[in-house]
Amino acid sequence: MIEKSFKNIQLLEKALDASWLRNEAISNNIANVNTPNYKREEVRFDAVLSKSISDLTVDAKITHKKHIPFTNSANIPMITKDNSNFRKDGNSVNIDVEMAELAKNSIMYNALSQRVSGFFNRLRMVIRDGR
Amino acid sequence: MSIFKSINISASGLTAERLRMDIISKNIANANTTRTSSGTPYRRQVPVFREVQSKTSFTTHLGNAMNTSGNGVEVIAIKEDTSPFKKTFDPGHPDADKDGYVQLPNIDTVTEMVNMISASRAYEANITALNATKAMALKALEIGK
Repeated sequence: MIEKSFKNIQLLEKALDASWLRNEAISNNIANVNTPNYKREEVRFDAVLSKSISDLTVDAKITHKKHIPFTNSANIPMITKDNSNFRKDGNSVNIDVEMAELAKNSIMYNALSQRVSGFFNRLRMVIRDGR
Repeated sequence: MSIFKSINISASGLTAERLRMDIISKNIANANTTRTSSGTPYRRQVPVFREVQSKTSFTTHLGNAMNTSGNGVEVIAIKEDTSPFKKTFDPGHPDADKDGYVQLPNIDTVTEMVNMISASRAYEANITALNATKAMALKALEIGK
């Protein structure tokens, strides 16, 4: 029962990881705003999500010590390079888009971490017998 | 995906933009310098930015397999602008040639000012990214409180 309720938190955890990875990519794009021929990095959330769902649902039982652990996670690249040209110097970073993405991503991260906190608070309430 | 990687990336951006700003200041300060150690007027300097690349191809492939983002920006060289010097007619100048012309540095103050604003804005953008990362990390520490 308690394991089942932790499934939810595992999903939120993956989402937090993805959001943090996206923050890294956005920071890198902003740091390279004046680098000629730099191509913007993008974390594809759908790739992260499908990877984490396949990680969560498909599990093969290991019944023998010589079995190889089995995961069905296809190797989807989560970070992709956007090869379009935005400026004349070959750089594809649009600083306005990056700043907007940064703001969106922090709000997303805050919302997710609030849900995780809420989960633990509920759990604590149950443990304390509703008090 | 480590905690401080984003902060290091933003810090590399801040360092690069600050160095660019230093060089722009140097160019503006030397806009009328006619004598340098090499005997020519001052030449405009330009920093060359590059995305930080892995030292070996192995780490590049490992990074691709592990789905890591890039590592920020670095200044790999400070090059000299090879465009010709400006020439003005000023026979009274001590460095004038026999026809009365003085060679002045190849610096356009307006270009330098525009680059300065660009560097300053990029610096601010990096600060914003750094603050956002900091706020997110602190928020993560509050989980379970």
